[in-house]
Amino acid sequence: MGVRNTPSSFGLVSRTIHWAMAAAILGMLPFGLWLEGQKIGLSNLWLYGLHKSIGMTLLALVLVRIVWHRISPPPHQLTQSIASWQIRAARWAHWALYLLMVLVPLSGWIGSAATGIDVTVWGLTLPSVWPQTEGWDKGGFAAHSILTKLLLAVVLLHFAGALHRAFVHRDRTLTRMIRG
Amino acid sequence: MIRLLALVMILATGPAWAAQTRYALDPQGSTVGFAWDFGADEIKGNMPVAQADLALDFANLPNSTVTVAVDVTGAEAGFPFASQAMKGPRVLDAGQYPHITFVSSAIRRDGDGARIDGSITVRGVTRPMVLAAHLYRAEGSATADLSRLTVILTGALSRAAFGADGWSDLAGDEVRLNIRAVLRQVN
Repeated sequence: MGVRNTPSSFGLVSRTIHWAMAAAILGMLPFGLWLEGQKIGLSNLWLYGLHKSIGMTLLALVLVRIVWHRISPPPHQLTQSIASWQIRAARWAHWALYLLMVLVPLSGWIGSAATGIDVTVWGLTLPSVWPQTEGWDKGGFAAHSILTKLLLAVVLLHFAGALHRAFVHRDRTLTRMIRG
Repeated sequence: MIRLLALVMILATGPAWAAQTRYALDPQGSTVGFAWDFGADEIKGNMPVAQADLALDFANLPNSTVTVAVDVTGAEAGFPFASQAMKGPRVLDAGQYPHITFVSSAIRRDGDGARIDGSITVRGVTRPMVLAAHLYRAEGSATADLSRLTVILTGALSRAAFGADGWSDLAGDEVRLNIRAVLRQVN
């Protein structure tokens, strides 16, 4: 079981990051959507801090993942007996996933930073990265909300694609992400 | 620690105090407290007094004057995020307007206390304001000893009236003041 990826298998690093992010995203999507509808108060203020901490950790993980895939490229896509439109759809879904995994936390960070209130991650205060204006605050959070729904849609598409490959095509797309 | 000073009694004693008596605020024990609503919770905060000038004429209360400035930059709104938000540009904008000032224009008896009419300036906007005042002397002091007093001032203001209405979806508009001023006679 190698740490690095090979042309035909995912290494331990890629798989660990993938499943850690998958678990966190699957938790964060309903958590964030629920939090969006809550009335903020003293009793639930800590949940917003937790949401930001997990979100910024996810941003860090996706950046690590992108860098790692430059260092250790992922295996080639399995295309045997797959319709070309499905191959294209899978590629687009992966690009969209990566883009949204960056943009969703980034938009939340921009919205939070634009409020002028410290953004703290696991107790550490992040540098203020954005102008403190109400426009960026509202715009950042509006984008965060829309992008989250898009991410949810792409995650569902990705999940459906993985199951389709595992149970209809019966290829190694899913198993190589589980066992390498 | 303190015992109610019957302001009515002092006033009734008449001309023994026929002129203004100047008082300085003793920061020890003095607080400019305020309360605001955050969702269903009431949050309490405070601001340090930057300057206070009080001249009280117990025989002729309308001859009294009160001028107070509080330091917005040192304000605490109950918890760190709220303090940052309150001092930020959407609420008090402490960078541009580091002080809130209150200047009395009329003081008169009101029941067992006093009513102080004046004007308050918040983020450069001046509006009329009424404070209810109750005066106490130090516990154990003689009835005629007015060298050390405690004044409790209460009132309320609307954030929106001063353009300090940021985060109105999270924080209530009304700010309730509860000021405890410990005064020492200076002349």
